[in-house]
Amino acid sequence: MERRVVVRHTGLAGGVALALVLAACGGGTGASSSSSGSGGGASSSSGSGGGGKVSSITLMAAEYSKDHTAAFWNDFAQKYQAKTGIKLNVQVVSWDDIDQQASTAIQNSNPPDILNLNAYASYAKDGLLYSSDEVLDPAVKSDVLDAFVKSGTYQGKLYGMPDLSSARALFYNKTLFQQAGISAPPKTWDEFEADAKKVSALGKGTVGYAMPLGPEEAQAEFSIWLFNNGGNWKTDGKWTINSDKNVQTLTFLKKLAVTDKVTENNPGKTNRTDGAFALFSSGKAGMVVGFSPLQGQLDKDKKVDYGIAPMPTSDGSTPQTYGVTDYLMAFKKNGNQDAVKAFYQLYYQPDEVNTFIKAEGFLPVTKSGVQTFASEASLKVYLDTLPQTHLTPTDDPAWDKVKLAVQQGIGAAVGPSGDPKKVLDGLQQQAEAGS
Amino acid sequence: MPEATTAPPSGSAVQPVRATSRRPRRPGPPGWVALLWLGPALALILAVVVYPAVALVRASLARYSITGLRTGSAGFGDYRRVLHHPDLGRVLSNTAIWVVGVLVLTILAGLAVAQLLSKDFWGRRLVRWAVIVPWAASLVITARLFTLLLDYYHGVVNEILLDLHVISSPVDFLGSDSWILPSMIAVGVFVSVPFTAYVFLAGLNSIPGDVYEAARMDGATGWQTYVRITLPLLRPALLVATVLNIIYVFNSFPIVYTLNDRNPGFGHDTSITFMYKLAFKSSEHDVGMSAAAGVGNVLLILVVVAVYLRFVARDEVED
Repeated sequence: MERRVVVRHTGLAGGVALALVLAACGGGTGASSSSSGSGGGASSSSGSGGGGKVSSITLMAAEYSKDHTAAFWNDFAQKYQAKTGIKLNVQVVSWDDIDQQASTAIQNSNPPDILNLNAYASYAKDGLLYSSDEVLDPAVKSDVLDAFVKSGTYQGKLYGMPDLSSARALFYNKTLFQQAGISAPPKTWDEFEADAKKVSALGKGTVGYAMPLGPEEAQAEFSIWLFNNGGNWKTDGKWTINSDKNVQTLTFLKKLAVTDKVTENNPGKTNRTDGAFALFSSGKAGMVVGFSPLQGQLDKDKKVDYGIAPMPTSDGSTPQTYGVTDYLMAFKKNGNQDAVKAFYQLYYQPDEVNTFIKAEGFLPVTKSGVQTFASEASLKVYLDTLPQTHLTPTDDPAWDKVKLAVQQGIGAAVGPSGDPKKVLDGLQQQAEAGS
Repeated sequence: MPEATTAPPSGSAVQPVRATSRRPRRPGPPGWVALLWLGPALALILAVVVYPAVALVRASLARYSITGLRTGSAGFGDYRRVLHHPDLGRVLSNTAIWVVGVLVLTILAGLAVAQLLSKDFWGRRLVRWAVIVPWAASLVITARLFTLLLDYYHGVVNEILLDLHVISSPVDFLGSDSWILPSMIAVGVFVSVPFTAYVFLAGLNSIPGDVYEAARMDGATGWQTYVRITLPLLRPALLVATVLNIIYVFNSFPIVYTLNDRNPGFGHDTSITFMYKLAFKSSEHDVGMSAAAGVGNVLLILVVVAVYLRFVARDEVED
């Protein structure tokens, strides 16, 4: 009897302690409490007495590719130190984790000096960033493509300096097109639908169009479709997510998935990289919306004979390009202004920025870069349209949440019981509440 | 010999407690010496258990911007918003199904595997090693592997089932609303069985052979022996396996997150992945809410474990 009592209590205490440890660990990796962000402690704002100068700054960079990103930045850090005498600590972080690491660093009041991310407006809104007036040479600013200056500007000031860009286009499988008796890529949505049906009819698991509306990049996929129907996320400063045009666009996508069944199984739950791109790269998909890094991958694999064409439009009018840029933003920290300015000065040297972009297979962000890249025949389809490209409203802090809501919500609209209008109404409401 | 049989397996752990209480008090060194010895352990507990717990609670009471910047106190606002989250009910029922499903199947499979491993057969050492592999492998890698195996288009599982004519068209194990939870549970069982089986194996090895001998002489059948002798004597092992598995499975992040990463929204999340998505993936993107959900998780697991142990203890007293 006595034994049982003792055993029970040690058991309970042990269980409780374990539960606490494990739950605390779970909390640490997932959220909040973690002290793990202190790894970035190297970014010493050593200027303890007011306007002192820093001896080192930290860059937290997103990993575009295993082969090139870290290699470029490490090389860059050496040049930076040779030029300025200031040490540049480079942290290359995967896209899956960078949002979390940046957030943790800011929670611990220890942000990097430079952060490379796909959003900046919320950071500018929180008053954490330098504007271009403080850290960017006016000559560099005037070289940046106007579309990117616009998308990087929050309340009249440029906070989001673009690091590289990409543009989307329609990739099609020439072999499958030939087998299906299609002579040219589609120019209108009607042609697109007909071609997708023909490719799907080939059977053997072939899908006409691989549509990734899963959480990874759903906002990108929907963006390019809605721009080619004359729609937009915002019009004249107002959210127009549930405009008639956009409802029409999403209804068309649902039709492709549910009525025509020309997409892969469950497009609302298919991600881009391991879903749609994988299908196209294995030769099972007739069409996919791709960008230059996919092109690089396909050229390396040499398995698929593909062509690239502008996106079809709903009525056959001029094709619209959807572009994406990521940002290098600079955090206001004691004494780091000159060091940050020197960082930008060096990064926007044509040799640096264009080398980086070329190695990663992306597109330039500067007017001089467009000229440098003009000789690359394989990029012509994007470069011609880059200056007029459409971007998502990254200059609105509300977009940072709307984007997540789109990623988590829009896939439901293309399921069998999906309701495009209702989904877009919900997103519109959320956007209006956030701004 | 009979003495040895009745001695409780965990008896040795109890003896020192009684022995110390009986020992006459001697004038020992002053209290701070004890503190010196306990110091490293206490420091570790403070750093690993107490500090994160305090930080978690503090975060759950604060308001955060989407960037992670603390903008002020939220009072209990974060908790209120978690409790009013439209998907909370779904997440909790997913969690219950996930934990109970994995637990029950793991215990059953673990018992079977342990029984097999306790028998002497040629190649037993090899099989024992093979069984431990899923446990030794990183959960993220295992989960990633299963997303490839279970894939709708490229997965081997669908290919085999199609070839065997078990199914006529591929099954969307990871995307279909009715299949994703069973798929997650299957993988959960796969990675939980090794540890559980080894706990049971240790338990089986501690049961003395002469009990079985006595049963055989009394004419007990194999099944009778198992139910009347093996299972009752495995009770301590069952208790340990159940409590630890509840905690492990409840807190398991990689399997649920990785297998479920293509599904939008919170439809198939457990409370752990719910907490993570609240902070970084969903449109809430709110560290404070996530911390509040984290505090809820700690309380939930404590309550579940306490209730279970209470239940077992009462059961034992009634025996």
